Amino acid sequence: MIAAMNSAVEDISKAMRLHRVWTALAHEDIGDQHRRTTLGPLWMLVNYFAFVGTFVFVFVTKDASNPGYIAYVAIGMLVWFYLNEIIAMSVSLFQREASFIQGTTLPLFVYVMRLTMQCIIRAGYSMAGCVLILFLAGYGFAMGWLFSLPGLLLIIVATPALITVFAFVGVFFPDSEFIVGNLMRVGMFFTPVFWAYNGQGGIQKYAYHWNPFTYLLEIVREPIIKSSFPAHAFAVSSCICLCTWMIALLLLGEFRRRVVFLT
Amino acid sequence: MTSIKLENVSLIYRLFEKLTLSAPDKRKGALGGNIGRSGRTQIVQALDNVSFELKAGDRLGLVGPNGAGKTTLLKVLYGIYQPSGGAIFIKGKVDALFNINIGFRPEATGRRNIVLRGLISGWTEAEIERKMEEIIEFSELGDFIDVPFKAYSQGMAARLAFSTATALDPEILLMDEWIGAGDASFQDKAKRRMDELAEKAGIIVLASHDAALIDSFCTRKLTLRNGRVESLTEIPEAASSSSEL
Repeated sequence: MIAAMNSAVEDISKAMRLHRVWTALAHEDIGDQHRRTTLGPLWMLVNYFAFVGTFVFVFVTKDASNPGYIAYVAIGMLVWFYLNEIIAMSVSLFQREASFIQGTTLPLFVYVMRLTMQCIIRAGYSMAGCVLILFLAGYGFAMGWLFSLPGLLLIIVATPALITVFAFVGVFFPDSEFIVGNLMRVGMFFTPVFWAYNGQGGIQKYAYHWNPFTYLLEIVREPIIKSSFPAHAFAVSSCICLCTWMIALLLLGEFRRRVVFLT
Repeated sequence: MTSIKLENVSLIYRLFEKLTLSAPDKRKGALGGNIGRSGRTQIVQALDNVSFELKAGDRLGLVGPNGAGKTTLLKVLYGIYQPSGGAIFIKGKVDALFNINIGFRPEATGRRNIVLRGLISGWTEAEIERKMEEIIEFSELGDFIDVPFKAYSQGMAARLAFSTATALDPEILLMDEWIGAGDASFQDKAKRRMDELAEKAGIIVLASHDAALIDSFCTRKLTLRNGRVESLTEIPEAASSSSEL
């Protein structure tokens, strides 16, 4: 186990020294996706507005008693889209990078960081949209917002670990690309992204309390909505982050040399 | 001093049966060598007790039929595959020319592709800057260097790929087949570049099916069959005729 950890750390260290490679490739990836469009990367902002706008339009009349609903959905969508994207794209990561893996000696973690960087850039555009929505919804900046920064940071720290775990799942279990894709689509409805939990029972209770995504959403959302630090959600999210990193390091250390035979 | 030493190097790997919900299929990719069975697991002996030693100035030609283990051996030397047995001792910076098109992006300009390829090859920004004009000049692309790669003709793309991939300062150079690119006039230039590259490198290992090429360019010939060394022979007066390639 220690040998696996050391091997993983070695791969990660090499990848971090090659930060110019994954930064450049991630920027190219984003640029390529929008190169011929008029709006360019601003399309990511438009997509975000479209989704949030739709949910607000459909549900705001139903939940008009909650004046913070727009902010609730806007922040929920921001975090959910980010998590959904990293997980859905991770499962096919090593397959997409097969030519690099079989033709270069770049550490595997370079590909993990390339995807991490891509997702963070995309989330940056969505975040700009989210802040704009918050201001439009009448939310002025409050010091409580700063409590969401540790939450955002924790999610970013967890991102490479989540990508690593799902990338290994994808390379050993190719069907997982479709299974995970479907689960994430369904998962949105079982996660308090656009519905709020007010102590009701039934399936919503379990979907709220036993869903790891709930806590990852709340560490960003609660400080802005309630101006309080979500200590419980932060503690659970920290545990999720730590466990994911442990699994990621073990997988990377144990199987990184075998990936080349599987892609 | 540049050197390569392999002692009883073996590469055995399991043919992973990926976990899948679909019916078992027969799509098992092998690297070459022998496919055997250990219990319920299929294993491939891609390299079996390969030993040899090269010193500065050696040019080793790898020959053998398809699936003999030539490319596998090159990838072991480069570090893509980790041997499962034996020991490898390498002194010197290893560069490889396996796939010269790797990393090229259709939407990026030729100039940007040089930067990206340089970064992937481990060059520093200063090295990329230093090599940039030389690569552009060698590729003869002129103003096209600032046009997206996807607009290049096949010949232009090959010229850029070749110019970038061979702008190396290798101590040990690994090649999977000899690389040529472009039209007839560029081919001559490319041949001269490859010769210069070979001269600069302390050691060259070239895998090829072209027996005449191996005999004219290499100083030693290693014949592989089913992952094993069948013979390792000296090629007399090799380098003298390399310029005729």
